[in-house]
Amino acid sequence: MSRDRRAPLPPIAGRNCDDAWPEYKDLENLKRFLNGSAQIYSRKRTGFCSQCQKALKQAVKRARHIGLLPFVG
Amino acid sequence: MYECMFLLDNTVVREDWKKAKAVISDAVLKHGGNVVTSRRWDERRLAYPIKNKNRATFVLCHLDMAGSKLPELRRELELSERILRYLILAVDEIPATEHELSTAENADGFAVPPPPSDDVVEPEPVINTPESLEDILAEGEMDDRPRGRRSERASAEVAP
Repeated sequence: MSRDRRAPLPPIAGRNCDDAWPEYKDLENLKRFLNGSAQIYSRKRTGFCSQCQKALKQAVKRARHIGLLPFVG
Repeated sequence: MYECMFLLDNTVVREDWKKAKAVISDAVLKHGGNVVTSRRWDERRLAYPIKNKNRATFVLCHLDMAGSKLPELRRELELSERILRYLILAVDEIPATEHELSTAENADGFAVPPPPSDDVVEPEPVINTPESLEDILAEGEMDDRPRGRRSERASAEVAP
């Protein structure tokens, strides 16, 4: 008997690569791309290209450094 | 050109806002830099305690200084007790809004709201009190006693 699998969640919409890259000060925007434990969503979930995902990662890490986001949620 | 975010200790901010800003500008000027813009970004609760503080005042600055002097500035900021943490990033240009906000803050009549007072992390209560030497010695004597159930020991003593 095969195990039932949930359908994958759709990517988080609302941004294309022409927009400004995510910034560490823009917390409300960053939180859209984090789960409840403040972990960064995968590229599959965010729908970002490689460069935008790297910019998101960098922004989240900068926000963590200055205490705006937790390291572990 | 560098964009810097400083986390200032709220006790310093409560004393005097201008003195608190001077902590940053003095450190930058000491190492041959120039503070182009400086403004209070926010005062908020930290996601985790930094230097035993739960809250901090965030100051956003734009500096103009030589990159060769940056390690010295970083060292000074690390040693400072009034600056909880800092983030220095290289930027191409200063956003136009930053100039306006900075001049608006430096104008007369601008008052910074005092930060709330719940910024100190209370130490966790100590559950295990340290044992005195006598207690440890008494425990050692206990270990020398014959082990086993009391009834067995009693019967062993009585039997012969």
